[in-house]
Amino acid sequence: MSMVRFDQVTKRYSKSKDALSDVSFELQHGEFAFLTGHSGAGKSTLLKLMMLMERPSKGEVFVDGELLNRMKPSRVPFLRRKVGVVFQNHQLLFDRSVYDNVALPLLIAGYSPSEVPRRVRAALDSVGLLGFEKRNPIELSGGEQQRVGIARAVVNKPQLLLADEPTGNLDPELSEEIMNLFLRFQQVGVTVLIATHDIALIERMGHRRLILDHGTLFDKGAGSDKNAGPDKGDANGH
Amino acid sequence: MAIKPSSAGASAHQIRLRNRLSGWSQQHQLVAVETLVRLLRQPFASIMTWLVIAIALTLPGAVWMTFDNLTQLSSRFQQSGSISVYLMPGTREEVAVGLQNALNAEDSVAKVSYISADQALSEFRRSSGLGDALDLLPDNPLPGVIMIEPDLRAAPAEVKAMIARAEHEPAVDAVVMDDAWLNRLEALIALSQRVVWVVSVLLGISIVLIVGNTIRMSIANRVDEIRVMKLVGATDAWVRRPFLYTGLWYGMIGGLISWLLLILGWLLVSGPVRNLASLYGSEFDLHPLSAAVALILLLSAMFLGWAGAWWSVVRHLDDIEP
Repeated sequence: MSMVRFDQVTKRYSKSKDALSDVSFELQHGEFAFLTGHSGAGKSTLLKLMMLMERPSKGEVFVDGELLNRMKPSRVPFLRRKVGVVFQNHQLLFDRSVYDNVALPLLIAGYSPSEVPRRVRAALDSVGLLGFEKRNPIELSGGEQQRVGIARAVVNKPQLLLADEPTGNLDPELSEEIMNLFLRFQQVGVTVLIATHDIALIERMGHRRLILDHGTLFDKGAGSDKNAGPDKGDANGH
Repeated sequence: MAIKPSSAGASAHQIRLRNRLSGWSQQHQLVAVETLVRLLRQPFASIMTWLVIAIALTLPGAVWMTFDNLTQLSSRFQQSGSISVYLMPGTREEVAVGLQNALNAEDSVAKVSYISADQALSEFRRSSGLGDALDLLPDNPLPGVIMIEPDLRAAPAEVKAMIARAEHEPAVDAVVMDDAWLNRLEALIALSQRVVWVVSVLLGISIVLIVGNTIRMSIANRVDEIRVMKLVGATDAWVRRPFLYTGLWYGMIGGLISWLLLILGWLLVSGPVRNLASLYGSEFDLHPLSAAVALILLLSAMFLGWAGAWWSVVRHLDDIEP
């Protein structure tokens, strides 16, 4: 069973134009893929469909074997707990500490408060921010803020990790660092899908590419000729 | 940068039920404390809301206290109304005097006076100016009357028993209590109570609206936070919870302030009232709000605050989607 399956999905916001048209693809458990395309190609829409921030106009979306189309609103939060999301603008709350930001998904999922600190520290450790717990996110650099966002996305150990332009505001060096972080999560079994238009970076890293062009999806498979990074061998893993 | 192996997120489902339950109740306590701290951190805005709620509660509370006292007062007046014991026509003087003495001996009686048929007639002749017409009557048409002033300290049941005994006397025609004005007072109190109910309901609705509006503003201030919470899997109940607790706190603290205001009002007024009552020869004392009524006041304040928050949350919160 695949982690994500889109079956002839169309999303239409207005009558004139489809944001996504007839999109079909699958992501296997533990797969790592990039989602790319010009701005306005429908990358965000595709990610939103997996979070039920939007519902498809046509076709079927499955996440972890569950059909999302007619999922009751009361079930949606439980879907979102299985999916970690990282945003370009990281969506951190500046009225609370790094610790409280990362702890939020755990409190929401109903972990007992005695269990939360250990998991928060583990998540911060995994993004290299151990010791930043008491800081306010506003004091941190862009890259550090993005890593707090990633820690929050993974603290609940989601099966699926989505990222929408996670390196959009970062310089190339930091971008690569963030991407390597995502790779590490894939190595421990998380399915990762990253939307980005940073073509240079994608080409360096290889891996499967889903390319959106005006709402139509092209599946490029693993990066081919320009695959020159260190750990690219069997990026798809399946 | 170490990463702990993940069993593909399945651990989320491995949280044991007991952990979940204790997490849930601890979460409630946490939210209750957090929302209170949040309110106390913006003392000015919070105090304004608390005072508005307190005043809206104090008005019906004060009127309620007044009526509670008036009702007790009127039940005392019930006994203070004078009682007229009409004697059978032709009752002999010594029987009447004997009855007068017997009534005077009753515990529940403060004072007894006897007006004979002759006295009554001459009184009537003087006050009505019908002297000549009265001369035409063969007999004195007026009965003798014994006027009784009940003892204010006597229990109503004692007074009733005394009246019943007097009615059974063969020489007694009828016993009439002079209580028309008292009935009017009671009717007036009943009417006013109805008015107070209506006003209380209106003020209760205004509390719901005030809290609802305050919560609406705090929802508007926290839209980003709510979006993020929903994104990471918060249920509607989870998102609502802090706002509902905030409403509860508004109501509860407003209720406590109102209770303090009522005590303060009672302290200010009860002295002059006692003074006034003593001028009328009464030992009437203004009662404060009883503990039961104070509790009802507090609970209804909490309910109204919660209801206002609920109303606002249902209208505004569910619209916020990531």
